[in-house]
Amino acid sequence: MILLPRGNPVKENINPGKVNLADALGKMRQGKFTGYMRFDFPEGTGVFIYQEGRLISSLFENEREHLIAYDGISRTFDESLNGNGKLNIYRLSTELAHSIHTLLHGEVLHKGQDLQLIDIKSLLIRMREEKRSGCLRIYSKEHIALIFYRDGSPLGFFHDGSTDIETTADSSMSVAKEPGAKVDVLVTRGDGEKSLADLMETADITGMWGAAVAERQRQREEQENAASKTQETKESDRRQRTQELFQSFAMAHLGKIGSLLVDKEFDKLKLNGGQISESALDDFYTKLGKSARMVAGPSKIDKMLEEMKKGFKGLS
Amino acid sequence: MEMFQVVLGFFWLVAGCVSFYFSIGNARVWTSIAVGFFLILVGEIIPGALPFLPGLNNPYVLAMGHIIGTLAILMMSYGFQEYYVFTRTLDFEGSKLHVYLTVVGVIVASLVFLLINPTPDEGVLRVIRIVENTNWVFLSLINIDLIRKIHLNIKDTPISNGFLAFMVVFACIFLWKGSQLYMDVFSLDTKQHLINYTISHYANLVGNLLASLSVGGTFLYLGKLLR
Repeated sequence: MILLPRGNPVKENINPGKVNLADALGKMRQGKFTGYMRFDFPEGTGVFIYQEGRLISSLFENEREHLIAYDGISRTFDESLNGNGKLNIYRLSTELAHSIHTLLHGEVLHKGQDLQLIDIKSLLIRMREEKRSGCLRIYSKEHIALIFYRDGSPLGFFHDGSTDIETTADSSMSVAKEPGAKVDVLVTRGDGEKSLADLMETADITGMWGAAVAERQRQREEQENAASKTQETKESDRRQRTQELFQSFAMAHLGKIGSLLVDKEFDKLKLNGGQISESALDDFYTKLGKSARMVAGPSKIDKMLEEMKKGFKGLS
Repeated sequence: MEMFQVVLGFFWLVAGCVSFYFSIGNARVWTSIAVGFFLILVGEIIPGALPFLPGLNNPYVLAMGHIIGTLAILMMSYGFQEYYVFTRTLDFEGSKLHVYLTVVGVIVASLVFLLINPTPDEGVLRVIRIVENTNWVFLSLINIDLIRKIHLNIKDTPISNGFLAFMVVFACIFLWKGSQLYMDVFSLDTKQHLINYTISHYANLVGNLLASLSVGGTFLYLGKLLR
C-alpha cells in the first residue's frame, strides 16, 4: 500500500476501466497539470506524477512487485482495463510533486515503526547528523503527514488537504499523536533537484494503451471462449445423457432397432446451437414415433414416448 | 370339388380383405406387402375359384388374372426388400398413395397391352401362367431367405414373430405355385393317369388352402402385434 497525502482533489473515485487513459494522460500534458494520479486496484497501486504537464514518474507497486517508468505505466494500464480499479487525481505544487517523486523512489530505511515504541527525537537528530535527504511519513488509520528533509534539515511539512509544503509542524505532529500512528523513513541519494525526464516524450503512450486494450480484448475473448466451451461441454453431456436415457427406453420397447432409431433421430435433431429442450424434442418424438411404426404398434410406441418425456423432465 | 373351390374363395376373400385393411391402417412399408397379398384375391381367386363367375372363359379375364398374380408376388417381394433395407439403414421413403396409384397404373397398362395385341389363345394363356408361376416359385424361395434375414435384424421387436409367420406363408405358396408350375411344365393335365399328376394336383389344392389360411392368419396376427 502506497501511502501518499491526498492533496487537492481534481477528480475522485473514477473507474479507470471506463476512461481512455492515453487521452487522459494527453489532456494532463496539455493542461500543464502538476500533481499525481493514483490508481488503486485489488492487485496493487499505481501512481503517475506530473510536473507542469510532464509525466516525471510512474510507479506500480504491490507486495511482490515494484515497477517503475514504462513498466509501471503498462501494468497500470493493464490493471485499469480489468475494471476493478479506482482513480483519484490530486493537484499539488511543483515542489511537492517533485518531493512526492522523491518519496516514491527513495530507499526505505525504516518501515511501519510504531511511534509509541520509537524515540522520534533520536530519529530526527540522526537525520540531521547523518545529513539525510528524504522523507518521514507519519500515518494513522485516518490521516497521513509527510516531513521532507534535505541534507539533514527539514524542508517542510505536508498533510492531507494541503497543496504545498508548509512550514508549521502542527498537522504533522497531530497525526503522530493519533492512536496506532506509525512512521516510515525514506531516504534519497544523489541530486534530488535534478530535472526529471518526461516519460511521455520517450514513450509511445498511445501505443502502450492500444497494446493493453488489445491484450485485454484477447484475454476477454479467451475467457469467453473458455466459458463457451464449458457451456458446450455441459450441453454435450446433457445431450449424451438424454440420448442414453432414450436409448434405454427404446431398447426396452422396440429392441436393438429402437435404440438405433433413437441414435438416428438424435443425429438429425437440429438444435442450431441451442439447448436441448422439450420443444426441441417435439420433432424428435414425432419422427421417432413414425419410424417406430415399422416395428411396433401405436400403444407400445405411445407408452415409450411417454416414458421418454417423463424421463427427460427428470433429467432437466 | 366346386364346394372346395368356394371354401378356398371364401378364405382368400377373408385373407384379401384383412390384408387390404391392414395396408390402410399401418406404416407405409406394409402397403406394398399387404397390397401384394390383396392382389392374389383380385387376380387369381376371383376367376379361378369361382367357376360360376360370369366371364371365366373370357381370355382377357384369364390373362389379366395371371398378370395381376405376377404383379402380386412382385409387389410383395418389393415390399419385403424395402423392409430389409429399412432394417439395415433405418431409412424409408415413399407414400401409400404412390403405391396404390402405381399398382393401378401397371394394371391399366397391362390391360392396354393385352387389348392392342391379338386375343390370347390357349397357348398364350399357358405361357403367361408359366411366367406367373415361375415368378411365384423363385421369388417365394428368395422371400423366405429375405424374411429370415429381416427376422434376425429385428428379432427383439414386438413384430419379429410376424415374420416367422410370413416364412410359413411363403412355404405354403411355394407348395401351391410350385405344384402348378410342375404340372404346366410337364403338361401333366394331359397325363392325368400319372401318379405325378395326382400328387401335384392335391399338393396344389392343399398348398392353395394352406396359403389362404396362413395369409389371413398372418395378417390377423400382425394386427394383434401392431396394436
